Amino acid sequence: MSTARALLDDRRTLLGVLGALVAVIALLLFVDLPGSDLVTVGALERALQAATPIALAAIGGLYAEKSGVFNIGLEGFMIFGALVGAAVAWLLAGGEGITQVHLWVAFVAVAVVSGVLATLFAVLLIRYEANQIVAGLAVWFIGLGFGPFAATVLWGGVSSPSLPNVDAVSVPVLAEIPVLGRLFFDASPLVLLTIVVAVAAWVVLFRTRYGYWVQAAGENPEALDTAGIDVNRVRYATVIFSGVMAGLGGAVLSIGIGSGFTGTGVTMVDGRGWIAIVAYLFGNYNPLGTYGASLLFGAMDMLQIQLQTIGISLPGSITGLFPYVAVLVVLVGVGYTRVPSAVGESYDTEE
Amino acid sequence: MSDAATGVRSLADRIAARMLDASVLERVVIALVATALALLIGAVIVAASGYDAVEFVSSLVYGAVGNVSNLAFMLRQSSMLILTGVAVAVAFRAGVFNIGVQGQFVVGGFAATLGILFAAPLLPNSPVSAIPLLALATLLALAAGGAYGALPGVMKAYAGANEVITTIMLNFIASGVVYFLLDAYLRPEGAAAPNTEQFPDYVGLPGLVFESPSFSILGLGVALLTVVVVYLVMDRTGFGYDLVTSGYQEPAAKYSGVDPKRMIVRTMTISGMIAGLAGALFAIMILGYYSDPNTFPTFGFDAIAVSLLAANNPLGVIPAGLLFGGLDAGGQYIGFTLDVPSELVDGVIGLIVLFVAAPELFRAAGQYTSLGGDRE
Amino acid sequence: MTDTTAPAVQLTDITKRFGDVVANDSVDLTLDRGSIHAVIGENGAGKTTLMNVLYGLYDPNEGTIAIDGEPRSFDSPRDAIAAGIGMIHQHFQLVDNMTVLQNIVLGHEPSTRGLVDEQAARRRITDICDTYGFSVDEHLDTPIEELGLGIQQHVEIVKSLYRGADTLILDEPTAVLTPQEVEGLFDVMEALTADGRSLIFITHKLDEAMHAADDITVLRDGSAVGTVDAAATSQNELARMMVGREVLFDVDSRGGTPGEVALTVDGVTVRDERGLEQVRDVSLSVREGEILGIAGVEGNGQQELIEAITGMRTPERGTVSLQGRDITELSRRRRIEDGISYVPGDRLEEGLVQDYSLVRNALLSNQTMDAFSDGLFLDWGRIGDHADEIIDAYDVRPRNPEATAKSLSGGNQQKFIVGRELERDPSVLVAAHPTRGVDIGSIEFIHQRFQDMRAEGVAILLVSSKLDEVQKLSDRTAVMYEGSVVDTVDPDDVTEEELGLLMAGRARDGTERAARGTEGDA
Repeated sequence: MSTARALLDDRRTLLGVLGALVAVIALLLFVDLPGSDLVTVGALERALQAATPIALAAIGGLYAEKSGVFNIGLEGFMIFGALVGAAVAWLLAGGEGITQVHLWVAFVAVAVVSGVLATLFAVLLIRYEANQIVAGLAVWFIGLGFGPFAATVLWGGVSSPSLPNVDAVSVPVLAEIPVLGRLFFDASPLVLLTIVVAVAAWVVLFRTRYGYWVQAAGENPEALDTAGIDVNRVRYATVIFSGVMAGLGGAVLSIGIGSGFTGTGVTMVDGRGWIAIVAYLFGNYNPLGTYGASLLFGAMDMLQIQLQTIGISLPGSITGLFPYVAVLVVLVGVGYTRVPSAVGESYDTEE
Repeated sequence: MSDAATGVRSLADRIAARMLDASVLERVVIALVATALALLIGAVIVAASGYDAVEFVSSLVYGAVGNVSNLAFMLRQSSMLILTGVAVAVAFRAGVFNIGVQGQFVVGGFAATLGILFAAPLLPNSPVSAIPLLALATLLALAAGGAYGALPGVMKAYAGANEVITTIMLNFIASGVVYFLLDAYLRPEGAAAPNTEQFPDYVGLPGLVFESPSFSILGLGVALLTVVVVYLVMDRTGFGYDLVTSGYQEPAAKYSGVDPKRMIVRTMTISGMIAGLAGALFAIMILGYYSDPNTFPTFGFDAIAVSLLAANNPLGVIPAGLLFGGLDAGGQYIGFTLDVPSELVDGVIGLIVLFVAAPELFRAAGQYTSLGGDRE
Repeated sequence: MTDTTAPAVQLTDITKRFGDVVANDSVDLTLDRGSIHAVIGENGAGKTTLMNVLYGLYDPNEGTIAIDGEPRSFDSPRDAIAAGIGMIHQHFQLVDNMTVLQNIVLGHEPSTRGLVDEQAARRRITDICDTYGFSVDEHLDTPIEELGLGIQQHVEIVKSLYRGADTLILDEPTAVLTPQEVEGLFDVMEALTADGRSLIFITHKLDEAMHAADDITVLRDGSAVGTVDAAATSQNELARMMVGREVLFDVDSRGGTPGEVALTVDGVTVRDERGLEQVRDVSLSVREGEILGIAGVEGNGQQELIEAITGMRTPERGTVSLQGRDITELSRRRRIEDGISYVPGDRLEEGLVQDYSLVRNALLSNQTMDAFSDGLFLDWGRIGDHADEIIDAYDVRPRNPEATAKSLSGGNQQKFIVGRELERDPSVLVAAHPTRGVDIGSIEFIHQRFQDMRAEGVAILLVSSKLDEVQKLSDRTAVMYEGSVVDTVDPDDVTEEELGLLMAGRARDGTERAARGTEGDA
């Protein structure tokens, strides 16, 4: 185990690093130092927003892989989610006058539809032991094909018309808190919800029996089996969960923080499903760490805009690459992140 | 479990067992049936959406092969898909999931471009210079593509880094870096778009047979030749045998003398080289200059579908590439001439992948599945 | 109230088949309450299968199980656990990166409103530890992977006790322990039985069975040979029961005069992936025209030794020489080319590619042979002919070179592999368990071919856990135990019991083979 990984694993060091990071950000926010212009409340707000879709998909994918199934189709599920979210909202409102209620109902619809798709996917992977890589790629291709197509059928073009998104919600009193107030209590409720989800995911994974089962299923399924728990049932649950979460992440992109579905090129999802996978690898299969990693990637997404506001004009093509290079560095340099031992292997009781 | 559910399950098991054991002939039939089924569904969707299904299908066909110009376009796309498809097939066959063909393609084409742009001024301005320039471009493309493929190969073999993720990342990085270099250094004065200068007129493939500015039958020839070479290597050389065996059972490959790490790197290098060659072909035959990679067609990704349809068999890549090329051409034609959204064709392609990849998914499940009621 | 005079466990007429193979054949076993019962036998005798039946992992084809006098049937381990049966497997069923506490409660977590009640778990575990003197409760928050194997085993035992096990099954419990840890385990076992629990343990170590158990049941080839009182028996008697069939010694089966030394292994030490020493300072040599047999229970380092010789693994220390040349660092491919043939123990994963035809399999490890190449390319015509030759000469059925390997029976697959390896005219042949899972006819055939090769001057290294095979074929027999060669004997000069003792670590002059010296750290 390399020193860097050992350092990251040590809880105290990690907390220390985090604490230092928060201190630095606070400093830059309030004191006028070089670089201060980079860190504004607006920037943090945008970073939180950008992190949300990634985090949702990442936490879902984390659970699946932790239980031994590599859901590489997160990108595909996100595309479906983005599309279905926009479509349902639009259809409910009969084409105009989309209200907040429509949007929230659309989110529910996305969860259901994603759940159904994910169930089919899970059956393929678990019961029929399909090659996880190939199956995930197939989902991606189908998403790339049918997303824009469905959009065209509905709206006559690969993108939806501009749609409203979920309104920011302002919590009285709490919203007045400097900085934090604006970040969390006068912002899109989706941001706060996602943080809650991340915390809940952490609690479930590390403090409940279901979480124990998920961990065991991915590390030593035989141990779980001999303890009397059905390994495949656990895996079904996590795979379906990952599909639903990725779908919701996509919906956040289109109707949560975006303005509808954009289906040009590789669609508005634009590789976030892949980044989500890396986010949970980077976060070492810990939901909180994954949220942090998502925040990091979200911040990088916004970095270019920030740099422009302070007059540095780095070509977007280069700043946009930071997340990808970071991934490579993580995968290779920090000693490779510890993948659950039983990932990719299907589990048969009587072998 | 209820009787109905058991019944469905055992039926599904029987179907799955059949697919698992399908011979080559049966798999060809499956591929054809899947395609027909997908097209049928596409036609149904079209009809249900209020369009003319018959017109849809006939336009699709006409757009692919209806007249000489369409045919040329179809063959152009097919050449690219066959070449990139075989690049993918080489890797997948060896059990290495190279999703980075798009990036390797971009890098290869870029290297070829640099070679041409920098060497052309040094040579006499006449058609005679075409040969050395093309040769140089090809070599550079092979080298660059190969190196860019070897990189994730090394990361996988020696650091255990998952190649699916690293190659996808490298795709983004390739596009970003090449775009940056084009924009910053290679854009001619005052040009609006990040394009390089045009290649000299004589650099290009002769438009034999088809009078098309962007397709030369030689391009198809290059693709077919590559397929033949790959096939010969895979089927008739010791190295090819080692590669395929590594994809089937790595312990057996190791037993028979293969060094697994070296094999991974070699596989990725070859795959990258072929992808690089495709990039050179794209730059020389189709574009005539180099441009923002983000605007390039996604041959590298479509190649994955091509290879899956061909069950990762290099020879099978030819009909698969022709099919996808035809669909591509037909789809674009529909986009120009009909009301029907051309994205439907993308959807149909997705369905084809699903229907064909599904038995392939069963196939790829490995030796120890016990479907069809063989469980103890 | 359960009947306390009834045996804790009564297995009657248990039969378990896997396809054609009968793993357990009408086995009876009675475990009295509060006693320790050892089950011994060679590899493949059916010990682990029997225990898996008891633990609910397998369904017996015939026979009954009674717990405390009541007939039970188990669909899964959950049922067995509910009936009070706990099993400590040979390969620990522990999740490496979870803590001791999490592993102990896995599947039986106490929970309040969904959250695991750690405090309750801690209390119960500490109680258990205090009762039996375990120190596991000092490490409750440590991940398993950071603990030594001895403690891991205690975790496994506490896990079973936590689930309320009345009867514990231990599968080869001392396989990974130091002598001190073994003593500690025996103390634990006594404490458990003093408390009214009943124990079954599987072992191939006769001395341990006699030392720790009250009763011993001997299994051989799937059947129960008999049950004896541990206090009243001897190691010799046990060895005879374990091994004892009449072996027809074919006088002609001995080789002629061996020639030059062909293969030398000198001071070789091999570590496995976890860093444990599997082969300790082994030296041996094999001459042309001689068969050196390596006997011993599987798992005592034979596989790692073979891999060092054939080039699949690099030894940490020592040298391997072929006809005087040092080949320790030579690649696997070069060793094949230099004349070392290898019949691997794993014919499914290594020896054959299951989806390939026999023709394609004929090329496996022959890829660089000149005979099969035609300039740059392979000559599939000649490879096909070669496959035909092998099929013909080695009686492989069905006689179809296009048949896929997986469509052949085990015996035919093995014959094909042996044929392929022998037809290469090697100077050295390494064969690991060449007749495992093979029918009688094929066994005889393969043995005959080995003897033919020996007559032609090939040096053969034969590893097998079948004593009769080793006895019959080898000119000299080395016995491996815990990574070292205990002794090298003349098969004509040694009895089965003596071999059995050697395999259990006891040298012929009666001294205990020094088990583990100073073990390097894991």
